[in-house]
Amino acid sequence: MAGARAGPKLPGRLRMLELDGIHTYYGDSHVLRGVSLSVGAGEVVCLLGRNGAGKTTTILTAMGYVKPRTGRIAYRARNITALRPFEIARLGVGYVPQERGIFPSLTVVENLTVFARGTRRGRWTLPRIFALFPVLEARVGHLGFQLSGGEQQMLSIARALMLNPTLLLLDEPSEGLAPMILQQIVTAIKSLRNEGLAILLVEQNLRTALALGDRHHVLNKGEICYTGSSAELGGNDTVLRDYLSV
Amino acid sequence: MEFFLEQILNGLVYGVLLFLTAAGLSLIFGLMNVVSLAHGSFFMMGGYVAYSLYRLTGSFWAALLLAPVPIVAAGVAMEVIFLRPLYRRGHLDQVLLTFGFTFIFLDAVQTIWGRDVLALPPPAVFDGVVALGTGVFSSYRLFLIGFGLAIALLLWLFLDRSQLGARVRAGVDDAAMAGGLGCNISALFTAIFGAGVALAALGGVAAGPIFGIYPGEDAEILIPAFIVIVVGGMGSLRGAFVGSLLIGEADTFGNAYMPQLALFLIYLVMAIVLLVRPQGLFGIKHGLAASPSGSTPAAPLPSRRALAIGLIGVAALVIYPLLVADYQRSLVTELLIFAIVAMSLDLLLGFTGLMSLGHAAFFGLGAYVVIVLGTFFDFNAWFGVALGIGAAALAALVIGYFCVRASGIPFLMLTLAFSQLVYSVALKWRDVTGGSDGIGLAVKPSLFGFTLSNSLTMYFVALFFFVLCFLGLRRLVSSPLGRVFIGIRENEARMLAIGYATRRYKLASFTIGGAVAGLAGGLYAVFNGFISPDAVYWSASGDILIMVMLGGAGTLLGPVFGAAAFLLMKNLVSTYSEHWLAIIGVVFVACVLFFPGGFWGTLRQVRIMTREKVPA
Repeated sequence: MAGARAGPKLPGRLRMLELDGIHTYYGDSHVLRGVSLSVGAGEVVCLLGRNGAGKTTTILTAMGYVKPRTGRIAYRARNITALRPFEIARLGVGYVPQERGIFPSLTVVENLTVFARGTRRGRWTLPRIFALFPVLEARVGHLGFQLSGGEQQMLSIARALMLNPTLLLLDEPSEGLAPMILQQIVTAIKSLRNEGLAILLVEQNLRTALALGDRHHVLNKGEICYTGSSAELGGNDTVLRDYLSV
Repeated sequence: MEFFLEQILNGLVYGVLLFLTAAGLSLIFGLMNVVSLAHGSFFMMGGYVAYSLYRLTGSFWAALLLAPVPIVAAGVAMEVIFLRPLYRRGHLDQVLLTFGFTFIFLDAVQTIWGRDVLALPPPAVFDGVVALGTGVFSSYRLFLIGFGLAIALLLWLFLDRSQLGARVRAGVDDAAMAGGLGCNISALFTAIFGAGVALAALGGVAAGPIFGIYPGEDAEILIPAFIVIVVGGMGSLRGAFVGSLLIGEADTFGNAYMPQLALFLIYLVMAIVLLVRPQGLFGIKHGLAASPSGSTPAAPLPSRRALAIGLIGVAALVIYPLLVADYQRSLVTELLIFAIVAMSLDLLLGFTGLMSLGHAAFFGLGAYVVIVLGTFFDFNAWFGVALGIGAAALAALVIGYFCVRASGIPFLMLTLAFSQLVYSVALKWRDVTGGSDGIGLAVKPSLFGFTLSNSLTMYFVALFFFVLCFLGLRRLVSSPLGRVFIGIRENEARMLAIGYATRRYKLASFTIGGAVAGLAGGLYAVFNGFISPDAVYWSASGDILIMVMLGGAGTLLGPVFGAAAFLLMKNLVSTYSEHWLAIIGVVFVACVLFFPGGFWGTLRQVRIMTREKVPA
C-alpha cells in the first residue's frame, strides 16, 4: 500500500503535502513512474537520487508547473492537482527553485516584498528575514543580478518565506555553494524546521540531507526505490552504493 | 535657428506619438514574449472613435478620455479570447492571429467611417500658436509634447515605484517564477495588454488634430514603432522612450534637411544600432533560445511512389490548360507563380526557422526590375527576369546582413521594417515606379517567337519554372546545406556550439529565398504586365506567410496547396463581397485556431492517428 510506505498516517489537516501515484511525462518520455509520498506538519522530507532520477520533476509537479498524467496531489487534504502554480503558492506553499529565480532587475528588498503575502498577521517580516540572513540586510539596495550565488540562494529562501508559507519546496539549496555559506543555509533551514515549517527538500549532498531530514526517499528512474529515516539510510550501504554513489 | 528649434519640437511630437505606441508593444513583448501586430490598429481606431465622440459631444477632452474605453475593451477581448490559448504555441501563430485582426479592424473602420481622411479639430484652448523666437509654433503640438512626456513620467513612476509596477518588472524578468510566488501572470498580462492598448488609443486620438485620421495609419505607426523597439531594446521602457525620441528626431530632421534621403535615415539609425548593439540600446542580451517550431518535415514518401504521384501531378498540370478557357488558364498560371513565392518563403520559415514578414519585398523587386527596365530601356523581359533575380538576391543579402543578427520576433520586426522601406521607395520614387498608380508594360514580351500574351505559352513558362523551383528546393533541403538550415531551425545554439557559423547560413538561406521570390516576381511581371506598390505592402507579405502556414510550414508541397487555396478563396471572396478584407482576416484567425500545422500537418495527424489504430 502506497500510503503505508509513504509515511505515518496522520489526520488530514496535518498532512501538508501528499503525492499519490504520480505519473509525469515530458512529451513521450515517462519521467515519474508512480511516485507517492507525503510530508507531515513540521516534517522535513528529503528527496535523494542521481541526476535525472526525477527529483526536480517531483517538485515541479507538486508546484503545478508540470501536470501529471495520472495521480493526485493534495495540500492539507485539499486536491490541488489541477491548480496553477500561482494558486498553489497562494494556498501557502513557498517555492525555491534550483536556479533560484531571483528577479535580476529588482532590488533585494523588492525581491522580498514584491509578492509577499500576509505580512501583517504573518510571522515573517523584513526584520525577521534579516535576523535569519544578516548578509541580506547589508545588500538591501543591490539589484538581484549583483548578488553572489550564496546570497541569491538566501534571498530565494527568504523571498519564499515572505509568503508566510506552511510548506516549503526547496530544490537543491546546497548546489554549488562554498562550505561556509552552505553551513549558514543549513543552520537557517534547521531553525525553520524547529519553528515547525514543513519542508520537501531535494538534496544531492548526502551529509546535508542526513543532517536536515526526518525521512528520506531515494528516487531512481522516476520511482521511489527506498524510504527510510536518517539513521536507516545512513546505515544502508546497499542503497548508498546502488542509488546514490557516483 | 528658429527653423532648427521648430524641427526639434516637431521631432518631439512624432517621438511622443511613437512612444505611446511603442511603450505598450515593448511591455507586452517583455512580459509574455508576444508581439501584437494589431497594436497599430488600436492607435488608428482610437482616432476614429475619438472623431465620433467629438461629433457627439463637441468636446475634444471627452473624446480623448472616452475613446480608449471601447478600444481597450476590444483589445482585452482579443487577448483573452483569441491570444491566450496560443501562448503555448509558437510566435508565428500569435503573429498570424493578430495580423488577421488588423484586416478585420481595418475593414470595420472603412465600413463605419469610410476611406476619407477625417479631421479632428484641436481643443479650443490649444487652437492657436505661440511665439517661438521670431516665428510661431502650434500650441497644440506643444501640448502634445507635454502630454506625452507626462505620460512617460507617470509610466516610469508606476513601474519604478509602485508595488504593481514591481510585479510587472518581476514578470518581465521571469514570468514563471513570479507565478510560483503567487502572481497570476495571465491576469497581470491582460492588465498590461489593456494598458498598452489604452496608450496606443490615446496616441491615435492625440495624433488626430495633426495628421488626420485615415485607414493605413495602423501600419504607418506600427512599423516605426517596431523600429523604435529594435533600437531601444525589447521589453525596456527606457529603451522605448529613448528610441522613440531618437527615431522621431531622425525622421523629422531627415525630412527637413534632406527630403530625398529622409526615408532611409531611420533605417540607417536602426542599422547602426544593430551593428553596434544587436540587443538594442537598453536591451538585455538574451541567449539563443530554442524556438518551438513545431513543424518537423514529413517523412519522405517512398521514392517510387513519390515519383509516380509527381508525374501524375505534372501530367495533370500539362493537360489541364488544353481543356479550359483563358480565364481558368490564367488563374492557374497565377497560382503556380505564387506557389513559387510560397515555397521560397518556406525555405526561410519552415526549413531554417526564420520568421520573415517581408518576403513580398523581394517578389516586388523582381517584378519592378522587369517592368521598369522594359518600359524605360526596352529591355528583353527574360534579361529583365534574370536581372530581377539578381536584384532580389542582392537586396536579400544586404537586408539579411542586418536581420540575421536578430532571431525570433526581432527578426520578424526587422524584415517587416525593411520591406516597408521597399514599399515606401516604390510609392515615392514616382518618376520610376509610377507611385501609387503602379507601372505597366506597353508591349507583352515574347519568347522564341511565341508572344506571352498567349495564355497557353505563359502557362507553360510558369509551369516550367514552378517544376524547376520545386525540384531545386527539394534538392536543396535534402543537401548538406539544407540539413544545416534544418539544424538551425531545430536549435540554433547547438548548431553554433558544434561549429557552424549560423549567421552565415541564415544569410545564405535568406538570400536564396529572396532570389527565388525575385524569380517569381519577374514571372509575375511578365504574366501580369503591371505592378503597383500594393504588391510589396506588408499585407502582401502576410498573404505569402498565410499561404505557407495554411499549407503547412516545413514541407515543400504544403505551401503549394496553401497558395492555391488562399488565392482561390481570395478570388472568390473578392468577387462576391466588399468585405473581403474582413473575411481574409477571419480566415487568418480560423487557420491559426483550427489548423495548427496547416493542411499538411492536419493530414499527417490524421494519417498518424489512423495508423495507430491498426493493431501491430
